[in-house]
Amino acid sequence: MTAQVWQYVLAGIEVGAIYALIAAGFVLIYQVTGLINFAQGEFAMIGAMTASSLATAGMPVFAATALAVAVAAAVGGICYLAAIRPARASTGVTLIFITLGLDVALRGLALFVWGTNPLSLTPFTGGTALTIFGGVLPPQASWVFGTDVVVFAALYVFFRRTYTGTAVRAAVANPPIASTFGIPLRTFALWSFVAAAAIGGLGGVVIAPITSATYDMGLTLGLAGFVAAVLGGLESLPGALVGGFVLGIVVKVAGGLLSTGWEEGVGFLILVLVLVVRPQGLLGRAVRRA
Amino acid sequence: MLLRPSHAYGRSALAVLAVVAALVWVLPSYYTGLLTQIGLYALVTIGLNLFMGYAGQVSLGQAAFFGIGAYTSAALAVKAHLTPWLGMIGGALLAALIAYALSFVALRLRENLLALATLALGIVINVVFNEWEFIGGSSGFKDIPGFAIGAFAFDQRAYAILAWSMLAIGIWFAGNLVRSSFGRSLVAISAGELGAEALGVDAERLKRQTFVLSAAYAGIAGAIYASQASYIDPSSFSFLLSVNFVLMSVIGGIRSLWGAVIGAALVVVLGQVLQTFVPIVLPNARGDFQSFFLGAILIAMLILLPRGIAGARGEAARA
Repeated sequence: MTAQVWQYVLAGIEVGAIYALIAAGFVLIYQVTGLINFAQGEFAMIGAMTASSLATAGMPVFAATALAVAVAAAVGGICYLAAIRPARASTGVTLIFITLGLDVALRGLALFVWGTNPLSLTPFTGGTALTIFGGVLPPQASWVFGTDVVVFAALYVFFRRTYTGTAVRAAVANPPIASTFGIPLRTFALWSFVAAAAIGGLGGVVIAPITSATYDMGLTLGLAGFVAAVLGGLESLPGALVGGFVLGIVVKVAGGLLSTGWEEGVGFLILVLVLVVRPQGLLGRAVRRA
Repeated sequence: MLLRPSHAYGRSALAVLAVVAALVWVLPSYYTGLLTQIGLYALVTIGLNLFMGYAGQVSLGQAAFFGIGAYTSAALAVKAHLTPWLGMIGGALLAALIAYALSFVALRLRENLLALATLALGIVINVVFNEWEFIGGSSGFKDIPGFAIGAFAFDQRAYAILAWSMLAIGIWFAGNLVRSSFGRSLVAISAGELGAEALGVDAERLKRQTFVLSAAYAGIAGAIYASQASYIDPSSFSFLLSVNFVLMSVIGGIRSLWGAVIGAALVVVLGQVLQTFVPIVLPNARGDFQSFFLGAILIAMLILLPRGIAGARGEAARA
């Protein structure tokens, strides 16, 4: 492997870590509600924009991060309560349109608040770039990977080691029976939006120092998150993690070898291929629930 | 005679065309341009309504077919010096052909996954527009020749009349279609594919035909758009335009042909109105902020009036 390609791989791992976080949000919402939330990328945008403007205004970066995640989580909850819950009797196609509407509305709202100028966020910590076999990663990359580790570990513990997490898994496996046993499905749906938005928002904050934050960054991030989630099978959190990294590496290597314009195109070709050849995703089980 | 109005759709389409033809002589040219835009978007939306409203599928990539029509016509005119009239036919054919090829991939999927697949295909096609230097790459085509009849080069009035003529034909044709057994089979598919199959409907084939037809509608509209605008580049055919087509479809009423026209008109006019008035109320608002209202309206419509404006009457009657 030439040094150049290795550098593309490292860049892919770096963005893949973010794709994984956004994909995790998709998986959370899809598992609990059966909905693909087309507005998922906007939560990352809201996190990135909020943290950047707070930090620019002088707030310490970690306080700004915490507040930005809280804002994103609140927006996620409001989205659910205002747009999804009132339409819960609708068919699948209508709900798809509603999340599209959320996407458009959130991006428009961001224009109101922040305008079109990109905001920047200084890296969380200084330090020298990481050199791995001659390839270079910026110091912020450590924060990105650290975030992945913490978030996915927390999700694992929640779903496997807590009573509530078990209840959520039961509700996902069999909604009518879970409902009979008093498991509050609607409350879970609300919290899945809040958690997905918080995780997406956190992803947006940690990547903001690398990419800078703009009102329209959510579309690209959200779309990449989709592809990662579908790669992973839409129902599996480990799948989202693997899907994120696989997508990041493939996209960056292909983009580096062809031209950066092809990055998006390659990502979506993969999405179409996976949907057609293996709709259960790379790690998904072949048998899906009816 | 192609345009023989055989039923209510044909007659009302002709009446609307007559009104538009009269309007373009009295309206200032700015409004004539808006009329053309509404006519072209409505044409795309009618195709989309056949696919989404009648057949019950979902397409988040319709802007790509609009773009294919525009690029085909522009390339034929700029590279091969062919008249835009041929470009329009070529644009419709190529959009239909590409839709046919893609249908084998996309139409195997349903709902969520079909939405994702059409979205992805739309974006891949947009990347091709961007990266293929033969069709101008990211700088696009400029100086695209306009339509002409003999020595008469089309002005803005003529474009409005052309757009609405094609729209009238499109409504007449779609009107015939939805009243035929084809249309009833489509509705059966949207009600439940398995049930429709049990009744002897070849769902796969019908969905494919409708998808191809919707692409042809978008291709014709795109070809006219390219000549009227005289400049196109990939950013004109992005995912956001696809979302706008969905918005027009849903606001007007997804299972209604006139709903497509109402939806296109409302979205275009609303965009203009918001652009004018929001800065007066909120002086700090910048950029494409009206999309917030469009998104909010879309959500509100879906919750309060899921059958759209054109469907509201039937809803009230049943209530």
